[in-house]
Amino acid sequence: MNKMTLKAEGNTLVLERVFPAPRKLVFQAFTDGEMLKHWWGPRGWELTFSRMDFRPGGSWHYCMKCVDKNQGDFFGMESWGKTVYEEVAGGEKFTGIDYFSDAEGIENTDMPPGRIMLFFEDVEGGTRVTNHTVYASAEALKSVIDMGMEQGVTETWDRLEEYVAAASKA
Amino acid sequence: MDITTFGALSEPSRLRIVELLSTGPLMVGEIAERLQIRQPQASKHLKVLLEAGLVDVTAEANRRSYSLRVQPLREMDAWLDRYRRIWEDRYDALEDYLLKLQAANGNADEDSQRKPE
Repeated sequence: MNKMTLKAEGNTLVLERVFPAPRKLVFQAFTDGEMLKHWWGPRGWELTFSRMDFRPGGSWHYCMKCVDKNQGDFFGMESWGKTVYEEVAGGEKFTGIDYFSDAEGIENTDMPPGRIMLFFEDVEGGTRVTNHTVYASAEALKSVIDMGMEQGVTETWDRLEEYVAAASKA
Repeated sequence: MDITTFGALSEPSRLRIVELLSTGPLMVGEIAERLQIRQPQASKHLKVLLEAGLVDVTAEANRRSYSLRVQPLREMDAWLDRYRRIWEDRYDALEDYLLKLQAANGNADEDSQRKPE
């Protein structure tokens, strides 16, 4: 498996990973409603609904359902989402807005949407996918990641826990 | 995950204050000195952190001591950790799926993998 990188660039969270497959196929896996069913659900979650209309102004409406009994309260939970596409360059990139939604495809305006940009490039060994997501709070997110969320996360929070333990004894 | 936590930490000086306080409580003057900023500035930042629930203040004699509240940071940490894990799982599944597809399609696709288009 290739390593995924997560970093902050300006207002944007960037995920990068190289997949050992031709660009055309990788792009298809991201933009074909049926193919997305095979991989989009996180561990223990399945895509139970996936309706794709891949074109500028079109959207992908989907439902992820937790099918893993070990995930406790999440088991049986459904999470509806909707991506509205803006720019589409076949095989190379697409942009859009990611929303939480309901089963009817109505966008949930209480949850912050994320603006997404996906780029697909030929590299040695396959295709590099770069996934940019801009959150309203991304500036802060950057600071937090810089603070050591990526490498030093355990140390930082261990230290905080020690402090809290000491403070509560005092 | 509370969005005000991110907001409060978006300013570098406030982030530094949180880092400083992670080693123990400090007075305003100590914070200003270590950050090399003026005390009113430090107070202003501490007010924002206080409102976001990231610090607590206690009065010792006539001085005010600030300490870190860990809970909002833990929530934020959990949020980021979940974000990373979701995408790692998802991309692992995609890689498996792509390999499976290519294996099913046989050697023709392996050639195109070596020389994309």
